[in-house]
Amino acid sequence: MKHYYSYVPISAKIHKKQNRMTLLCITVAVFLVTVIFSTVDMMVRQEMNHLIAKHGETEFQSFLERPGVTTLYPVAILLFLFVLIAGSLMITGSLSSNVTQRTRFFGMMRCIGMSRKQVMNMVRLEALNWCKVAIPMGIVLGTAGEWVLCAVMKYVVAGEFSDMPQLGISITGIISGILMGLFSVLIAAERPARKASKVTPLSAITEAPSAVVRKMKNGNFLRIESRLGAMHATGGRLALMASSFAISIILFLSFSVILQLVDCMMPQSVAKADIEITGDRSDNDIDAAIMEKIGQMEGVKHVYGRRSLLNQRALSSADSNMETVDVISYDLYEMECLKKDGILKAGADLSALKENGYSCFVISDADYKKGDKISFGDETLKIVGQLRYDIFESDGLSKGRTTVIVPDETFENITGIRDYGMIFVQLKKQNSDETAALIYDIVGDKADYYDAREDDTYSTYLAFKICVYGFLAIIALVAVLNIVNSISMSVSSRLKQYGTMRAVGMDEMQLIRMIRAESGTYAVTGLFTGLLIGLGLNRLLCGYLVTSHFPYEEWSFPVMEMCVILLFIIFALLLGVHIPARQIKGMSITETISAL
Amino acid sequence: MKLLEVKNLNKTYGHGETQVHALKDVSFSLDKGEFVAIVGESGSGKSTLLNMVGALDTPTSGSVRISGKDIHAMRDKTQTVFRRRNIGFISQAFNLIPELTVEQNIMFPVLLDYRKPDMNYLNELLSVLGLESRRNHLPGQLSGGQQQRAAIGRALMTKPSLILADEPTGNLDSKNSRDVIRLLKETGAKYEQTILMITHSRNVAESADRILRVSDGIITDLGRHEEV
Repeated sequence: MKHYYSYVPISAKIHKKQNRMTLLCITVAVFLVTVIFSTVDMMVRQEMNHLIAKHGETEFQSFLERPGVTTLYPVAILLFLFVLIAGSLMITGSLSSNVTQRTRFFGMMRCIGMSRKQVMNMVRLEALNWCKVAIPMGIVLGTAGEWVLCAVMKYVVAGEFSDMPQLGISITGIISGILMGLFSVLIAAERPARKASKVTPLSAITEAPSAVVRKMKNGNFLRIESRLGAMHATGGRLALMASSFAISIILFLSFSVILQLVDCMMPQSVAKADIEITGDRSDNDIDAAIMEKIGQMEGVKHVYGRRSLLNQRALSSADSNMETVDVISYDLYEMECLKKDGILKAGADLSALKENGYSCFVISDADYKKGDKISFGDETLKIVGQLRYDIFESDGLSKGRTTVIVPDETFENITGIRDYGMIFVQLKKQNSDETAALIYDIVGDKADYYDAREDDTYSTYLAFKICVYGFLAIIALVAVLNIVNSISMSVSSRLKQYGTMRAVGMDEMQLIRMIRAESGTYAVTGLFTGLLIGLGLNRLLCGYLVTSHFPYEEWSFPVMEMCVILLFIIFALLLGVHIPARQIKGMSITETISAL
Repeated sequence: MKLLEVKNLNKTYGHGETQVHALKDVSFSLDKGEFVAIVGESGSGKSTLLNMVGALDTPTSGSVRISGKDIHAMRDKTQTVFRRRNIGFISQAFNLIPELTVEQNIMFPVLLDYRKPDMNYLNELLSVLGLESRRNHLPGQLSGGQQQRAAIGRALMTKPSLILADEPTGNLDSKNSRDVIRLLKETGAKYEQTILMITHSRNVAESADRILRVSDGIITDLGRHEEV
């Protein structure tokens, strides 16, 4: 042994069991960053190759410059920083507990002449020593994770991801993982290092507590074990633990906004057509016989058409500013799809539309109620529902226009028009190419034929959703690990005390209630802090990312996310209490008192 | 009826070549109000014996009856409650709860029973133990002797019929040691409690009513110290 810090790897070998959790925390943080950055790298590579091969470099450039994509960059950086903070907090908790349990050791070091700076360096080196194993492990797991994700996208999601690179190695991902590991450990080690350096030489020889101990107040409100548990939670550890809970909640609420954004950027519809047949927009000039012919074909799943009559002078009982109305006919199937896609506002009555021929849905920026009327010519239509946004405009706003959607039969009765302006076809999966070719032959030069199968955004949409849900799951996993680890460490540091309490007559259930009270205090504080900041951030991000580009999507209280958060916290608490409780149950009282 | 009856108590640790017979067929009994010292060399099984009597550990075989009840035949919760109400345990390392004041530490076993502590009795104990002026102090603010006296107070708070003391003066100087033993004897006599104490000190052993020697897991009743 040539230097004092040669002790570090020797100590790490002996205390492998105690350091397992810390190693795991670093590995998870590195894994998280590696898998995300590696997968994104592969996706960008794949998209770059695809676009350049198909359209040339300029098309890829324009993709990168799309408003939705550029807005994501600062948000991605912000969220990466959040993950770095979460990872650091997790590791800090582990390191701090580790230092607290070794107060006598550090006191002894100071007794034999180690300076405060040397103690700090030793703690930092110990933390970095774990990186020796944790970072490579995290990178290997992260790369393997990226391979799995790429395989899922290639073979499960398919579509435009069908040529995702397989078994690719991402240098960006690896470097990001290494940096994440080193930075998070160095940041995390700072506070415990300072704490260790403040241990006095006297701590080696006296039983005096190294930290300030606060008195528990007398009280009748809670049972003694619950009061003690809550008492154990207060102090320096509370801030750390509550922050872990809070950061996870904030990340969760922030990332859930991206899900909303993806839904807006790539809206998926049940009525999405494979083939679109259009005539001149102002004329309904596609023969109805074409639709009947197509409908009888073996390989056709659904066929539906639209007719339109635009700019009809009209009056509305709800909107005095309205002067004209566009009347569009929808097939019953397409109307049902409006409901399935969630495009109708609450209260819309599809059955009334089916039963009563002179009813309609309305699309307008003005607010309509059921029962309002729109009159044009000799006809009066009763409103039975309104759409949430204008499906014919990219930003969802009608900008003063009013459109009514009526059933096919109603349109025919009102206008006498039987031919179609547009026909949409959904093909069965089997022999779709042959069916498409036959339809093309039927249409001929009578109308414009467009094969929309290549425009399918479903695979991209699914890939995004998988990534975001995957990330949310990882956030939850990291938080659960941190909570379980911290509660375990807290229990371990008080094992001797628990043994004494059991010796004087505390039974197992009382002990578990005490641990539960401690965990519950962390959870409530973290939940309160996390929701306060997280809801605010959720609203802010929603406004910045979603409402600014899609004005019809206003912020609403994230009820589902809140339920998930509450369930997850309950699960984390139960697990966090269960593991140390099982450990204590397995030990006899004398073992617990003798435990270091 | 004897207060404490130990019959054919055995305790074995480990298996095969590493097996250790800590206690070998130990049998003895104590009357109510007796003050008995246990002596023996290091590693002889004294603490193991005390742990069995106090239901802190489980014997391999044999029985321990306190006031006629077989404590090792009880279920865990019943045993814990029995220990809380009938046995006071004092250890060498004090083992006070650092966040609780002296007063709170002493009344802790009563609080575990969800009962309101008898404040008159608590005040009496604090007075007898000389801790009145320290009642609101934390353990970290007390000397070793004061901490041990607080631990004695905790052991006495539920008025247990049996007090088990594992080298209570081991970490104390001679003056404090004498004070602690005197206190134990006085309170034991006052509240008619039976005391079973492990000690290395000849002086402490001499002050006991009876001496038991443990050697290699085997117990021998040495009788009163004058007879030794």
